[in-house]
Amino acid sequence: MSSTAYGRDHEVVQRLRPEPPSAEELAADELVSGVEFDIFRHKMKMVAQEGKETTMRLGASTGMRWGDVAFGIFTAQGDLAVCATGIYFHALLGQLPIKFLVKHWRNDPSVGCNQGDSFFYNDPFYGGVHAADMGLAIPIFHAGRLICFAAAAVHTGECGGTDPGGLGNGSRSRYDDGILIPPLKVGEGYQLREDILTMLATMNRDPRTMILDIKARLAAVRVVERRIQDLIAEKGAAFFVGALRRILTVTSEAARRKVSRLNDGVFRQARFIDTLGVEPGLIKVMLTVRKKGDKIFLDFENTSPLIPDRPLNCYFQGAVALAALYLCGWFFYDLPANNGLLEAVEWKFPDDALVNAKGDATTSLAPLSMNTVYQAMFQCGARMTFSYDPERAVASWFTAFAVPFYGGLNQHGDPVADVTPEMNSCGAGACRDRDGVHSAGSFFASMSDCSDVETSEADRPFVYTFRGHFDGSYGHGKHRGGSGTGFGMMVYEVPAMHMGGFGNGSRHPATPGVFGGGAVPPVFIRTVRGSNYRSLLAERAQRPRNYGELYRPENPETGTPVYHDISMPIEPLNEGDTFYVCTGGGAGYGDALERDPRAVLQDLRDGVVSAWAARNVYFVATDEHRLRVDEEETARLRAAERAARKRRGKSWEAFHAEWNRKRPAPEVIRGYGSYPDPLDGMAAQDRPTAAA
Amino acid sequence: MKVRITECLDIDLETETWCCNRCGHPLHGARDDYKKGCLIAERDPDEVYPPELKGQEYGFRPDPNYSRLIEFYCPNCAVLIESENLPPGHPLTHELEIDIDALKRRHGR
Repeated sequence: MSSTAYGRDHEVVQRLRPEPPSAEELAADELVSGVEFDIFRHKMKMVAQEGKETTMRLGASTGMRWGDVAFGIFTAQGDLAVCATGIYFHALLGQLPIKFLVKHWRNDPSVGCNQGDSFFYNDPFYGGVHAADMGLAIPIFHAGRLICFAAAAVHTGECGGTDPGGLGNGSRSRYDDGILIPPLKVGEGYQLREDILTMLATMNRDPRTMILDIKARLAAVRVVERRIQDLIAEKGAAFFVGALRRILTVTSEAARRKVSRLNDGVFRQARFIDTLGVEPGLIKVMLTVRKKGDKIFLDFENTSPLIPDRPLNCYFQGAVALAALYLCGWFFYDLPANNGLLEAVEWKFPDDALVNAKGDATTSLAPLSMNTVYQAMFQCGARMTFSYDPERAVASWFTAFAVPFYGGLNQHGDPVADVTPEMNSCGAGACRDRDGVHSAGSFFASMSDCSDVETSEADRPFVYTFRGHFDGSYGHGKHRGGSGTGFGMMVYEVPAMHMGGFGNGSRHPATPGVFGGGAVPPVFIRTVRGSNYRSLLAERAQRPRNYGELYRPENPETGTPVYHDISMPIEPLNEGDTFYVCTGGGAGYGDALERDPRAVLQDLRDGVVSAWAARNVYFVATDEHRLRVDEEETARLRAAERAARKRRGKSWEAFHAEWNRKRPAPEVIRGYGSYPDPLDGMAAQDRPTAAA
Repeated sequence: MKVRITECLDIDLETETWCCNRCGHPLHGARDDYKKGCLIAERDPDEVYPPELKGQEYGFRPDPNYSRLIEFYCPNCAVLIESENLPPGHPLTHELEIDIDALKRRHGR
C-alpha cells in the first residue's frame, strides 16, 4: 500500500464535508450558466433516480427489493453531489469509501482506479453503520480522464457474522460482526472477478442474495455510467465537472442561509436505549445543539461511554450522518441532498463515547444508537424550527425497528438470512395540523415499502397469520401518531427456523412525543411454541385478525407463549411455532385534551383507538352503541382532568424534593457510565476533547 | 410583543418572560428554564397505560426501573406544555435556551 499503513484510515473518515474545489472545477465554473445549470441538476436527479430504481428491480435482499437503497453520484474527489434515496445517510456516508479509494488506490500501481473497474465495500468504519450495509462504486471516465463516481449502497441482509440476518445481538467484538471489507476492487475491464465473488459468497450464509445484490448494484451504476457519458457527449466534460461542483456550492450557501433564519440558542435532548444487546440495560445519548448564526453545532458530551464488548456502539461518522438524515428529510427538505449541507453543521464527539466507536469495538447494532441520535435531533429540530416554520416541527416517527431477523433453509431448500420488510412499515409522527400516517414507512428510508405478504412468503419459510394496524402502537396527543404494523408469522414447511428480534424500546419508550404528545408504547415479541395455529387454520376456526386480538381472553391459540425483549437473542423455532411483533407507530403532538372529540370518535369507528384510551387519555365520553360523542359529559370529564392536573402538579422545588431521591437499580445502569451524567467524576484534564 | 416558540410557549420580549400560549399566563424568566414556572407531575402508570399485560415483564407500559413519565402543566389553564420520559431521578432536560438578545434583535427590539 503506497499511502497508509495497513489498518483503518482515521484521516479520511473525517472528510464528510466537501473537499476544496479543484483547479479544474474552479476553471469550469464559468461555463455553467443559470438555466443550463437548472436543466443539468434536474437531469442528474433523474439519472440517479434511474440508478435507484434499477438497483431495486434487480436485487434480492429485503432492503434492496423494498427501497432501502441509496444511489449517489460523486465528484472525482468523492463528494456526494446528487442522490436518489430516502435513506440519505447511506448516500452521505457513501463518499468515505470513495475518498478512501481516491486517496489510496487511484495511484497505487498494484490496484489502480481505471475505466471499467468496480469496488465493493462493507467495513462500517468507512460505510459508517454496520457490516450488513454494503456498497459498490465505479469510477466514470471520459477520454481517459476521471470525471466522477457512481455508487449504490444497500443493507444486504446477511454478512456472515456470528448471528444470521446481519444483526448480531450477541456480538462481542468487530470480529463477530461478519466480513469487514474496505474498498476492494472486485471487477476490472467491465468484468466482475469470479474468484472474489466466490470468496464473498463463501463468507456468507445467503450467497445467492449476496451475489445478486452485488450484481444489481453493478448493473445500476453501469446504466448511470451510460447516461452520464451521453450527457458529457452533449455538454462537454468541463461543463459536467463544473456543474457537479456548482451543485455543492449552491447547496452550501442555501443551507447556511436557511440555518441563519432559525432562532439562535441551545437545544438539548437526552435519549435512552434500554438494551445492551442480548441483555437489558440503560444507556444514554445526550445531544446538545447550539445554533448560532448560520451554523448548527452538535455536541455529544455526557453520552454513555463506549461498551467495547456490546454491539450498540456506532462510529461518529454514522452519528453525524443520522443527524444529517433529519436535516435532509425535514429541515432542508427543499434543498438538494448532498454533503454541501454539512457546511452548515459542525460537531464534537467525546473520545470515550458510545457514538464514537474505536478499536475492535463491535457496531453490529449501531443502527439503534444512530437512530437514537436521529431521534434526539428530531426533538431538538422540532423546538428549533417551530418559530421559523411550524409545519416542520413534527413529532418523531418510530425509531427503533422492532422487526424479526432470521436464518435457515427456506421451503425450497435454499439458504436464507435477512430481516423482514416491516422495518419499512412504522407509523409517522403527528404534525401541528394533522395526525401521523398509519404504517407510513420508515423514518430512515422514506422511499421504501414493506412488501406484500405473498411476495415475502414466496421464498421465506413462514406464513403471515395477520398484518395490520394496532390501536395501541402510537403516541397520543392533540394529533396522534400513525399506527405501527402488527403482524404474526408461523414457521411453515421447514423443520425449524432461527429467529430473533432487532430493536429497542421494550422497557423505556424509544420514541417520545413532542410538545406534550405521548411517546410510542413499548414494543416486545411474543412467541408460541407448540402452537395449535396450523390446526386452527385447517379448521378455518376463528383466529386473531390483528395484534390487539392476541391479548384478548377469547384468543383460541394454545401452546407455550413466551414474551421477549424486542432485542431477542436468536433461537430456533419449529414448524408451526408462531412469532408476533408490532413495529412502533408515530409519536404524538400536543396535549391529548385538546384533541377534537370528533377525531377520537372517528378513530373509534376506524378501530385505531381503543375505548380505554378514548376515555382515559382523551377524556371523551361516547355512546359505544350509537358511536356518538356525549359533548356535555366530555366537557365535564376534561374539566375534571384539568383540575386533577392542578392537584397533582408540584412546584419545581417540591417536585425535586422527591424526584432527586430516585435512582435506577445498579443492574439497570451497568453500561451507562456515571449516573445521571456519564462524565461525572472524570477529572477535567481527562474529559474528552473534540475527536472530529 | 410575544413571539411563538413552541406549540404552547411564547416569549414576551418586553418582559423577557416565558408565557403560556393558551392563556397568556407568565411562567418564568425567558433567560432561564421555562419548566421552573410549570406545575410538574410524575404520572401514575395505572392512569396512563392500558391494563393489558399489566404485571408482566413485557407489555404496553414501560418498566418503572427504566422510565417514568413526567408532565409539565401551565399553572393557570393546566394545558400540558411538554412531557418527558426519563429514568428515575434523571435531571429534567433544559431543552430550550433561546438567545434572548438575538431574538430581540431579530424582531427589532
